Amino acid sequence: MSANKVDRLVKMINQISLNMRSNGSEDLVVSQVSEHLEKFWSPAMKDLISEQEDNNVGLTPISQKAVIQLAAMRRAK
Amino acid sequence: MLEFYEPQPDFGTPQSDSETMVTLSIDGVQVTVPEGSSVMRAASESGIKIPRLCATDSLKSFGSCRICLVEIEGRRGFPASCTTTVEAGMQVNTQSDEIGKLRRDVMELYISDHPLDCLTCPTNGDCELQDTAGEVGLRAVRYGFEGDNHLIAEKDESNPYFTFDASKCIVCSRCVRACEETQGTFALTIDGRGFESKVSVGPADNFMESDCVSCGACVDACPTATLTEKSIIGAGKPEHSVVTTCAYCGVGCSFKAEMKGNEVVRMTPYKDGKANEGHACVKGRFAFGYATHKDRITKPMIRESIEDPWKEVSWDEAVNYTAKRFKDIQARHGRTSIGAISSSRCTNEEVYLVQKMVRTGFGNNNIDTCARVCHSPTGFGLKTTLGESAGTQTFASVAKADVIIVMGANPTEAHPVFGSRLKRRLREGAKLIVIDPRQIELVNAPHIRADFHLPVRPGTNVTVLNALAHVIITEGMQAEEYIAERCETDDFDAWTQFISEERHSPESTEQYSGVPADDLRAAARLYAQGGNGAIFYGLGVTEHSQGSTSVMAIANLAMLTGNIGREGVGVNPLRGQNNVQGACDMGSFPHELPGYRHISSKVTRNLFEGEWGVTLDPEPGLRIPNMFDAAIDGDFKGLYCQGEDIAQSDPNTQHVEAALTAMECLVVQDIFLNETAKFAHVFLPGASFLEKDGTFTNAERRISRVRKTMPPLSGKADWEGTMALANALGCNFEYDHPSEIMDEIARLTPTFTGVSYKKLDDLGSIQWPCNDYTPAGTPVMHVDEFVRGKGFFAITEYIASEERANRKFPLLLTTGRILSQYNVGAQTRRTKNSEWHEEDTLEIHPHDAEERGINHGDWVGIQSRVGETVLHADVTSRVKPGVIYTTFHHPVSGANVITTDNSDWATNCPEFKVTAVQVSKVTAPSRWQARQQTFNTQQQQLLAKARH
Repeated sequence: MSANKVDRLVKMINQISLNMRSNGSEDLVVSQVSEHLEKFWSPAMKDLISEQEDNNVGLTPISQKAVIQLAAMRRAK
Repeated sequence: MLEFYEPQPDFGTPQSDSETMVTLSIDGVQVTVPEGSSVMRAASESGIKIPRLCATDSLKSFGSCRICLVEIEGRRGFPASCTTTVEAGMQVNTQSDEIGKLRRDVMELYISDHPLDCLTCPTNGDCELQDTAGEVGLRAVRYGFEGDNHLIAEKDESNPYFTFDASKCIVCSRCVRACEETQGTFALTIDGRGFESKVSVGPADNFMESDCVSCGACVDACPTATLTEKSIIGAGKPEHSVVTTCAYCGVGCSFKAEMKGNEVVRMTPYKDGKANEGHACVKGRFAFGYATHKDRITKPMIRESIEDPWKEVSWDEAVNYTAKRFKDIQARHGRTSIGAISSSRCTNEEVYLVQKMVRTGFGNNNIDTCARVCHSPTGFGLKTTLGESAGTQTFASVAKADVIIVMGANPTEAHPVFGSRLKRRLREGAKLIVIDPRQIELVNAPHIRADFHLPVRPGTNVTVLNALAHVIITEGMQAEEYIAERCETDDFDAWTQFISEERHSPESTEQYSGVPADDLRAAARLYAQGGNGAIFYGLGVTEHSQGSTSVMAIANLAMLTGNIGREGVGVNPLRGQNNVQGACDMGSFPHELPGYRHISSKVTRNLFEGEWGVTLDPEPGLRIPNMFDAAIDGDFKGLYCQGEDIAQSDPNTQHVEAALTAMECLVVQDIFLNETAKFAHVFLPGASFLEKDGTFTNAERRISRVRKTMPPLSGKADWEGTMALANALGCNFEYDHPSEIMDEIARLTPTFTGVSYKKLDDLGSIQWPCNDYTPAGTPVMHVDEFVRGKGFFAITEYIASEERANRKFPLLLTTGRILSQYNVGAQTRRTKNSEWHEEDTLEIHPHDAEERGINHGDWVGIQSRVGETVLHADVTSRVKPGVIYTTFHHPVSGANVITTDNSDWATNCPEFKVTAVQVSKVTAPSRWQARQQTFNTQQQQLLAKARH
């Protein structure tokens, strides 16, 4: 696994979270961020970031929760 | 629609739009026309031609030539039919002995000062003066030619595309009025009085040095050979014509390609074209010579590596070679290791085929389009708020706008024909608010002055849009009934709370945006209370890290003021390339099938799977930036790139070059060996828009026909090239004509179900949605309700870009276009348009220049966090202190060597408009430029080996 790859994805998710942060409650924002990733990211990107759900890779708290939610969605598929 | 050459019909004076009808008698024939029509127009509409010289139906009547005299019962004298309006019961005679004599006498005076060289004149057989002399029966000139005359007047040949031969001028003022009324440039005037009267280019010595923008409206309007296209002087009168659609900007002008055999000799803007209504710009009208330029590559070529010479091969060999390499890559690296980029310069049918080939032949969704780097935030933002990824209006709708906001767009340069419409409305009294870091032409042009110019600091658009909304809400100017009836009220309440916060007030946001609070408040009041409010925006809105947020904030403003759903209002993205709208409509994004339907929808997939006979991947594919990253990571190895020059147009050039170099098989389909093709292993020769059938969809959602005027130079139109490649990959594409592809699109896409080539031929053009509910198309969207049902007010939090100025990089670079060049310049650089713009320069404010010891014309180095390039300095106050500006039309300029990987949070549209830089005086090109020159030379040599 490339650290660069993960860093890039982390940067993107944090940017998405930051831009959605005022959309409502934290739960709402978390679910909007994870839905955004599910809707627009390729499976390889989603799988790679989902693997990081328990790791400290620089995700903001909301991003981290969104990744956990995304990973759960992917497992449920 | 091939037809023998005939000049377009001319009714003499403009059509009246009155709904009240008036009946009169002309030469004993009962004629009913709209109130306000001229007698000349009424006669023309009933098939009676009144001779004329100074009148043409694109211009207001003028009444100077005295040829169109008529008799009206009960009136004294002989009124001019062009300036006399119809009245009920009026009895008009257009022919009598007395009228005939008067007309001949006037004509005789004109001809007494006109060269009698009709047989060798370039407009022989296509000259209104000649025709009119014939119509009035002039047989002799009694005055002789010995007296004072203008026959030896000097010819102005400075313009590369047309000549001005003053000896043939009859001073009818049609050219002057066309420059004013049609184009809105006011470059021409009549100097002197009486016999000394002459058409003049103002204080300049010639056309090239004047304010003339070379739109050609004057040439079109000229009734003599005074203003004539050089192509006509060289080739003679066309013998047939084909109606087609321009392949430059997103206005999508309709043209008659006027031909001699397979050679285009003139492009004449088509009067029935609804996007342009007979007007054009210097690109569409004149810059078509690239299509037959010597640089055209017309044979497929292959090579093992980019160090190898190209080898010319047959189409079969090229597509089989590609298919083999792509399959090999997929076998070794997986199904998702290849992808494609489709082009907004290609037709809807071609774009559709590329995404179909990716989804069925590649077996993945790795398809993206160049809209990724321009208007992808428009798609996201308008779909989220309004429910449809498209502009809401027709261009003509601007004629009913009272207050116009132009934001991050420069219509007079980048969308010139729409710019002229806009200027006309502004001259009629509409108010204008310009939101742009630069002083674009509209801020202060002849007879136009913006009521407000809000010079926003690059990267802070959202603060300005939020502040406008804040003022409207806090001062109670919102359209309450409209919002209550048409928008989601809970979301509106939440948004109201958000936007009312003091931090969004103009006084608070001024520190970020640099826009004076008082100006912003006044602009908000004007937009909210000034009547019909229309917003037009461009890439200065979308190409930011908050491009999508800005688009949603624009939609919020329009809903807030009730300015969506009727003529004269709306949210109007000005699309950069000719078919950006169409490319997006046709399923070019990796997450969407045609018609903006998400790939995860089983119902939608089933529909396409049924038609295509394959199982589709339900997951989104890679976006263009993802493809580059994956290529550098070693996961993405093959790319089919049609009609797009990503090595020049995409940001952070060195990153793009690294990605292209990392690929095992790069296939480029283009008409020239563009910058991207220099990294390619397979070159498939493209076809220009003159060589194929299809459709383009412009920024108004208007689908217009592209019609083949000549056979493809390579033997295949682009759709045929894609079809050959798809079939080599194992697909079973069987189309004999692009109309069959459109039929398939219509079968699969709810907004296109009513579209067919037959209907396009019948109606001329169609604005989608076109289906059972709207069989003739939809000029204005969201009339009774929004496509999504209720309009959604999105929360638009301002997040500062990561790309910030600091001590090391104190200036902000923003980029844009110039009138004479188009995008990466692949087309326009290969025309005489380069005489206006031979190189890209760097605009820098005098204050910033002085601080750095930079003089106008100096070589300056521009360093950003990712790269460096060198340009000549243009010291100008068009940019404000702290902001610099350049264009990206020439590869050697390396404008995108300095732009960064930052992108829009929602769509990854690059942040072209904000790059922190330092500028300093230098004496040599940058290292990248030196490398680029060496690489270019090497690649040209490898190409030359294939061609000899």
